[in-house]
Amino acid sequence: MKQVININFQGRVVPIEVTAFELLKNYTESLNKHFANEEGKDEIINDIESRIGELFQERIKNGAICITDDDVNAIIKSMGRPEEFAEMDDTSSSSSSNSSSTQDQTNSSSSSTFANQQTGTRRLYRDEENKILGGVCAGIGNYFGIDAWIPRIILIITGIGFIAYLILWAFLPSSTNKVIGGVRKKLYRDSDDKIIAGVCSGIGNYFGINAWIPRVLFLLPLITYLLGRGQWGSFFDIGDLIRNALSPGSLIIYIILWLVIPEANTTAEKLEMKGEKVDIDSIKNSVMEEMKGVQGRAEKFGKEAAAFANSSAQKISSEVSGIAKRNRSGLGDVIAMLFKIFAYVIIGIVGITLISLLFAAAVGSIGLLPLKDFLVRDGWQNVLAWGTLIFFIVLPLIGAITWIIRRIAKTRANSKIIRWGFGAAWTLGWICFFAFLSIIVKDFRAQNRIEEDVFLTNPKVEQLEISSTSADSKYYGKKWFKIEPYNLLNDDSVLAPNVQVRIKRAENDSFKVTISKVSNGINSVQARELAQKININLTQKDSLLISDKGFVINKTDKFRNQYVVLTVYVPVGKKIKVNKNFGWGNRVEFDGPFIKDDNQEFFWNNDYDGYEHNWDYGKTYLMKADGLYTLDGIPADESKSKDTKVKIGPGSINVKDGNTEVNINSSGITINDEEGDNYRYNNSSSTTSSNTQDSITRKIDIEKAKVKDSLLKIKERNNKLNQDVDKQLEKLSGGDLLPNLPLLVPMINFL
Amino acid sequence: MNIDNTASQMRKGVLEFCILSIIKQGEAYPSDIIDKMKAANLNIFEGTLYPLLTRLKNAELLTYRWVESNSGPPRKYFLLTDKGAEFYKELEATWFELANAVKALTDLEQQHSFNNNPDTNQDNNFNNA
Repeated sequence: MKQVININFQGRVVPIEVTAFELLKNYTESLNKHFANEEGKDEIINDIESRIGELFQERIKNGAICITDDDVNAIIKSMGRPEEFAEMDDTSSSSSSNSSSTQDQTNSSSSSTFANQQTGTRRLYRDEENKILGGVCAGIGNYFGIDAWIPRIILIITGIGFIAYLILWAFLPSSTNKVIGGVRKKLYRDSDDKIIAGVCSGIGNYFGINAWIPRVLFLLPLITYLLGRGQWGSFFDIGDLIRNALSPGSLIIYIILWLVIPEANTTAEKLEMKGEKVDIDSIKNSVMEEMKGVQGRAEKFGKEAAAFANSSAQKISSEVSGIAKRNRSGLGDVIAMLFKIFAYVIIGIVGITLISLLFAAAVGSIGLLPLKDFLVRDGWQNVLAWGTLIFFIVLPLIGAITWIIRRIAKTRANSKIIRWGFGAAWTLGWICFFAFLSIIVKDFRAQNRIEEDVFLTNPKVEQLEISSTSADSKYYGKKWFKIEPYNLLNDDSVLAPNVQVRIKRAENDSFKVTISKVSNGINSVQARELAQKININLTQKDSLLISDKGFVINKTDKFRNQYVVLTVYVPVGKKIKVNKNFGWGNRVEFDGPFIKDDNQEFFWNNDYDGYEHNWDYGKTYLMKADGLYTLDGIPADESKSKDTKVKIGPGSINVKDGNTEVNINSSGITINDEEGDNYRYNNSSSTTSSNTQDSITRKIDIEKAKVKDSLLKIKERNNKLNQDVDKQLEKLSGGDLLPNLPLLVPMINFL
Repeated sequence: MNIDNTASQMRKGVLEFCILSIIKQGEAYPSDIIDKMKAANLNIFEGTLYPLLTRLKNAELLTYRWVESNSGPPRKYFLLTDKGAEFYKELEATWFELANAVKALTDLEQQHSFNNNPDTNQDNNFNNA
């Protein structure tokens, strides 16, 4: 009967008999002594050890339960004992190493295992056997042959040694690492101690902490939710629980970890999982291993790049691959190095951007879930909405992150079934997405509006100020999902902040306010019904007109792009001010090529529609015959200050510059100017005399230039409008919806 | 004079040349080198090979690169540097000179012994006896 222990030998977990382990240890020690004076001692021993590790692994792969004495002896026989291959060594080095090894043997017998590894020159190691924190002090004590408490006390008294301690901890080799190869600990899922998939217990094992710590961190959103519920004392319902408690962030992270982290199945893996405590040194080891891998990959990359070069390809590739080894500095090396760094940085940036975009999309859309009921009707719409969310957004996100992590970690490829299943699910996601779009767009097809006049008690005031109430306080509940502009959310109703103010010049001398309630719907009847249901209150206090900030939409009526336009007719010579609190809300709407929206006309027909533009909230304006002016006399709409006026109507463009007016429409270009000439330029008819024709051509040229200028201006303005629309769309599609607390907590802790 | 010692001295002299010639044929992993040598009936300990490779590498005759392996950590694959190739050429020239010389000498002896066989046969028998 023999005791078997598991050792971590050169990054492999090897079950080995205790006696065999002793043999192995003696052998590596004898090698250490033999190569003590050799230049590349560490490298040689490392090479030999990794070869032995490979042979061990072969044996275990062939079905051996553990490494026995015989195995070790056979391996030692094939590797050769130091005294056997001493004869093969260079005479010079062998003589010196022989002498030193004999010298060693005499004095090593007395000292500890720790000390007898050091031959010739003494080396400073961290003493893992007598350590308190990192074994640095114990190692120093060993090195100087003093009690470990002396350096410890010095460290504590001076205090300044703390940073030095950390540095030594990181850079001094561990004494145990010398005996048995590099120590590596791997992250596995612990199937023995699992609740769902063993992710948390695996993390606990890796960091040597209780599995409940990661568990609690994952469940933090749930806990905060439950505490919040307790405060409100309201009823516990499942929909609400799923919506709020299973934070999208921690759920996604859990699923990704589930997919990425392998399960510890074999004993070796379980050992690797628990392994040795992770300290700075082992992290340093694994980082260095990683760097070696990167180096290898970089060299490979350099070679591939060099293959593109023609004649000197061979030379470059050998130079590139030799950079790390030979440490030569040359122009070629520097270029290759820069190239590599550049490539890695770019790949890194692209990858990170891609992932964060996907993450934002997923979290944003999950965060919008509470709003779903206000948009989507039960039945097919609901099913398709869920299908789109799960298969079109969340699934690809999980897949992409998993794939990238697997590439980085170089774990084995996904099985075919998973890949096909994934592909099928994503196809389904696309189908859901388009079906959902087409089905939801139907509900927006028609648009209708109701216009109402507002009764003003004293319409002849000098100044009218328009303000909004702060929204009903019940819509400012304490919620996790405070995402602008959706924070005004209650259990069964949502406050849509879609109220806009437009200013128009009044025909008479009294203020007038009209309300347009607009809504989309399946047909114009339904749209009209929805528009009628918009309830907005206006109250007047002297010159102050107070409007609701928004109107309530409930779950039964759904949100169908309802909005309200307050049109204020301002008489010439009177003042108007729209308070800043009106400027807060962004208009919320769903837009698409099939959704009818008459409001577009407001934007496009800038001067044509008779509305005032470009005025600011919170400023007082004076209405003049040609528009709004600030009290300093600066026109609100700067384009009006110039003489050139451009009007774009349906099918015609009208440009007015001073006394000259050019009109372009389907029948040609008409020019009117001061002198009363009224030319009509037409391709088909040229009945005018040659004399006048010259002046006409000249004029046409001038006018053409003017028209061109004006058109360019229109183009500029349109571009600006487009940008604004784009910005609004971005806001709606969730660009700034990312940060919310339940997501951030697990992210900070685990990423 | 120990026969084993002399034989190993002879082997040792050509060992570096053999290793370089194997690596010259293409990148090689140490155990591949051992296998090839064994196939050619040249038995050495693996423990001898690693220090030799390290020394050759430190002399900039060899270089290595890390190759990912399916099982376990990456492996070192050795390849010849330009300097190593140069070095190998010179060794090769020396080797063939030496080999030809040795062959010529040993062949001469064989020829001689073959030629003289009828005459010396008796002497040999006599000597052996």
